[in-house]
Amino acid sequence: MTAIHPAGEIIESEFASVAVKLDHDGNAVRLRVEDLRTGRVRFLDALELESLVWLADGHLTQLLDPSHERWRG
Amino acid sequence: MTAVVPSPSDVVAEVQEGGSRYDRLIQPARVHGTLYTDPSIFAEELRKIWHRTWVFVGHESEVPQVNDYVRKQLADQDVVMTRDKEGEVHLLINRCAHRGLQVCDDKAGNSSSFRCPYHGWTYRNTGELLGYPYNKGYGGKKQLPLGMGKVARVASYQGFVFGSLAEEGPSLEEHLGAAKGEIDRLVGLSPEGKVSLDAGWLRHKTRSNWKFLAENETDGYHPQFVHGSIFGVTGSPIGELYSDNSTAVTRNLGDGHSENDLRPEFRGFAEPMRWFGTTPDRVPHYVAAMKEAHGDAADRVMIEGAPHVMIFPNLFIAEIQVFNIQPVAVGECVQYSTAVQFDGGHELNMRMVSQSIGSVGPAGMLLADDTEMYERNQRGVAMADPEWLDVRRGLHRESVDENGFTIGTATDETGMRGFWNHYKSLMEAED
Repeated sequence: MTAIHPAGEIIESEFASVAVKLDHDGNAVRLRVEDLRTGRVRFLDALELESLVWLADGHLTQLLDPSHERWRG
Repeated sequence: MTAVVPSPSDVVAEVQEGGSRYDRLIQPARVHGTLYTDPSIFAEELRKIWHRTWVFVGHESEVPQVNDYVRKQLADQDVVMTRDKEGEVHLLINRCAHRGLQVCDDKAGNSSSFRCPYHGWTYRNTGELLGYPYNKGYGGKKQLPLGMGKVARVASYQGFVFGSLAEEGPSLEEHLGAAKGEIDRLVGLSPEGKVSLDAGWLRHKTRSNWKFLAENETDGYHPQFVHGSIFGVTGSPIGELYSDNSTAVTRNLGDGHSENDLRPEFRGFAEPMRWFGTTPDRVPHYVAAMKEAHGDAADRVMIEGAPHVMIFPNLFIAEIQVFNIQPVAVGECVQYSTAVQFDGGHELNMRMVSQSIGSVGPAGMLLADDTEMYERNQRGVAMADPEWLDVRRGLHRESVDENGFTIGTATDETGMRGFWNHYKSLMEAED
């Protein structure tokens, strides 16, 4: 589902809600991603985004383990 | 005044001694009312039919993209139908392996993984456990041999997805038997040889035992009475096909499946698209696409039209729409209904949606009329006397067709008798 939001277009499911928009404040454009449930923000530059595209599915799946980073404890 | 009413089981025992419980309740010309009202029989049906045989759940077109998912029912089981990143369709039981919480709540979505909102356990859309927060409490990552539950066997035929909760049993194709040909006939009406069930499902709560619906779907005796209003309003000629003058037949397809085969009537008229209540000039692009796809056979396909088939226990294809019947309790079920959409048949698809809305929509006339009967049937059958329901209509005039199937006339209860034969064989099986 997408909708207009100050933080950008919203991509959400019943499991997560983030807003994405292009950020032009730096010397090159970046993607600004905000976790709307916590307010945490991450900027992703072109090279980082390209790396995501090339990330093996298995690596991406590892990141979805809740204890991989956020709830490592 | 106190009336003493003998319990149904006493009376049944008087009627016929010996045999199994279902020998007494299910006889060639009648079935006992308790089959529709006894909670213990319903509980046994869940075990021996709904949790064992193949049950229609949904259609592959409901999850067209990788990582799409939809919530469905398989009897009393809340099921998530998913399409994984390889494109394979899964039926997951919607329950977290940790504390048993319902994992997915939305009716539909797109996600490669599902995170339980209670403690954050996260699953791939194949059911595999990806991880849990604070893993030291379990001795580290990937220490638990757990996952979401899965429907034991999943298979599809022409995109229709079925599930069986039993690890073993007949294959889906064996279960479908002769009914496969009816699904093929439906799909053959698509210029691309493919149907979609993606127009959205209407959900009708029905205060009736599920078997009243399964029996009624190929009961050609009721349309002239129950559906007189919609036939009158629309000027439909369909009602006349269900009379003693009709050449249409009711066919017991075996394995509990049955159909009202209207083709003899349509062949007599030999008018393409009459089955749909239209003429080729009103749907020229569809007709052209069918001729392109089927060549010389196109006219025959468009004359004979779509099937009217009840596939045991819960898939009813009613020419232009599909019903998915799911039991809830002994006196309650849900009818999900949707319009058939033929891939490559845009001209027909718009009409099928509007006709479906007219027949099974919130203000539609067909399903509402039937449901009034189902619910009155449920109330009536709870009364004490008479105890039996009569299913003998046409028993004396049944015959066997060229393929070995038992057939009756358009208004005979041949389909019901086939249903009960199969039902009885399943209910008499070991637990």
